[in-house]
Amino acid sequence: MTSKKIFTLFDEVTPDNIEQVMQQAIALELATIPTYLSTYYSINRAQDQDKLYSKLHAQLSDSGLRTTEEIDALAQELKLDILVYANQSAALIMSVVIEEMLHLALSCNVKHAVCQVPPDLMDIGKVLSFPTQLDGHEPEFEIDSAKLSLDQLTTFLMIESPKPFENPNPEIQLDATVEYKTIGRLYKMIMKCIEENFPGPYNPKPQLLPPEDGKRNRPFYSQNSMNTVYYDREHNPHFGSADGSGGLLGVQDSKTANEALYRIVEQGEGSTTSQNHKPQHLLEWGPDNMPVPMKVIDGKVEFWPGDYDDDDETELAHFAKFLEAYSLGDYYTKKFNKIEGLDNFFSYFVYDVQSNPTQADYDNSGNEALALCNKLGNALFAYILLMVETCYYKDESTQYDLFMFGIHKSMIWLLSEVGNTINTYTYSKGNQAYRGSITWEHYDFSQSEATPKAQILQLVGALAVADPVNWGWGVKDQNYFPSLPDVDLDHHVVKGVPKVDQTPYTHHH
Amino acid sequence: MSDHINKELHVCMGLNSCKNQGYSGKNDCAGMGDCSTAVGHPCHTLNSCKGQGGCGIFGTTEEFCHPGENDCKYQGSCGVPILASRFMSQGPNRGLSVWQLARKRFEQNRIAKGETFGKAPQEFGPDEAYVNKLRGTTGKNYSSCGQSGSRACSYIQDKAARKIEAEARVLKMEEKSKEEMKNILDNCGKGS
Repeated sequence: MTSKKIFTLFDEVTPDNIEQVMQQAIALELATIPTYLSTYYSINRAQDQDKLYSKLHAQLSDSGLRTTEEIDALAQELKLDILVYANQSAALIMSVVIEEMLHLALSCNVKHAVCQVPPDLMDIGKVLSFPTQLDGHEPEFEIDSAKLSLDQLTTFLMIESPKPFENPNPEIQLDATVEYKTIGRLYKMIMKCIEENFPGPYNPKPQLLPPEDGKRNRPFYSQNSMNTVYYDREHNPHFGSADGSGGLLGVQDSKTANEALYRIVEQGEGSTTSQNHKPQHLLEWGPDNMPVPMKVIDGKVEFWPGDYDDDDETELAHFAKFLEAYSLGDYYTKKFNKIEGLDNFFSYFVYDVQSNPTQADYDNSGNEALALCNKLGNALFAYILLMVETCYYKDESTQYDLFMFGIHKSMIWLLSEVGNTINTYTYSKGNQAYRGSITWEHYDFSQSEATPKAQILQLVGALAVADPVNWGWGVKDQNYFPSLPDVDLDHHVVKGVPKVDQTPYTHHH
Repeated sequence: MSDHINKELHVCMGLNSCKNQGYSGKNDCAGMGDCSTAVGHPCHTLNSCKGQGGCGIFGTTEEFCHPGENDCKYQGSCGVPILASRFMSQGPNRGLSVWQLARKRFEQNRIAKGETFGKAPQEFGPDEAYVNKLRGTTGKNYSSCGQSGSRACSYIQDKAARKIEAEARVLKMEEKSKEEMKNILDNCGKGS
């Protein structure tokens, strides 16, 4: 693989390079979002339990090793293994995605406050493509857009590792300049520079801020949604993140800047800052060059105090969430492997999507709907970045509009609809059949004179023609694509789009 | 627009302001309507009008404290109708009934204005079978968006036992929500 550097790499963070380093930090937060989303969308979270049971029952029956009663009981047990794990792993990944969106906003707040320069998300999006890497991380390792698997979860663990680790496969290590060994260490270098050189107070600049009691309605961030919920074997709901896991933070001086950065590190890695010195699980490699899993007893893992990102031990850090998903996945993989007649554990609930697919793959397949659907997904992701970036040029009234009418709708519904529909399209490559998945390639709005929103509407229109059954609503219902805000590449926001009679704000465009 | 264009728009059973303003138009008075008249929508920010956000699935803690009380279109939290099985996914009230909070907010507003209201057709709100029957649909999913699966289900293989177990689980959540309504409102008071 060829390493594609986005940044010039430095030996330390200084007042001269902090602007570039903060952009690097923003880039690594941003890169995790499509990485984790690609895996999330590969999971069939809530499949038909009766069909699954029948499939397992038939496979167990074919072996001829068990009585009918034994088969009934084992098929039910295995069905639960699959359903609960699929839903849980998806919920955990989504809970991390949501916090990565928070981390992106926090790092953008810090950059805008400390450096007095707004974040440049669109430029990062232009060069982000899969496979990718975390620029400057030692060791560098390949990060794929890929389906859920133990290998992919291993990549997630490497991204969120609280401590430095050796690459277990040095032969595929990328050429790199040594800069930082964990994301937390990068942030600590930034914090030190801010503390020593940027005490503040900073000149006020637009940031994404938390709500204030009795004051502004700033509905920009929420830890949980129904997509971070999963059900245990008794169908009791569980929630992926704790309510008190920390949200947005305004940055006014070095104290609040470093508080925002601490929040990123703690939520990602766990016991590295205020949680220091508490025992926590780490990324350790087994003889098979795979992570050593946590012990699984009665379908559960046991966490240690340092696995949490808070003193109350209510909120697991990203690393611990992924290690839980890895450990349970490893446990069930081995369990299924021991039972004759069964398939690979993950194959029961993971769509067979290609790693790092490209638009060219879809164009070459002749599947027009797939090719258009992917373009729409890439365009929506770019538009989300544009809308977030635009928030750093506008006052709260426009930020509210962009979130309520654009970003929330795009993330929760529109992009999600693409991510969960594209896998219904199939294509072949190299004699292998795959389901579609979003490629996360840069969608270049500047290639057309039409506004980005107009280009999105054109794509929806074309997709509705190619696949009217799945996408006819896209052009018919005004509450979805047509009611998105109209934001141009220069951050101009068209007034009154969508037309909403009343918002909590008086607008000063 | 809604096929109930000439009716008051509200998000669910028992949340209507006037006689004959439930879905089927046969209710005696406020609070006794049988189902939502709001323009059906499945998710956060997709509502067409004021007061049509259902809540509980996507949104903030503050939004979840005010189901059906959004100021304008595209500002509603979640889809309608609000099934009895829907619980809040965020905030100190998570895991507890959205419909009961919506009903409580409705009652509070009526009382504050000195207005009367009747009992809702069902104490804890409608289930999916009820909505399907009322609307003449068969097996339609009215549970709104979200990818984590049904909020009214169980994993028991026998289908009859599965249904009984699922209903028992939802009832447990409903009864707990009723018991904790004061806490639910207190929690909202802190954040909204």
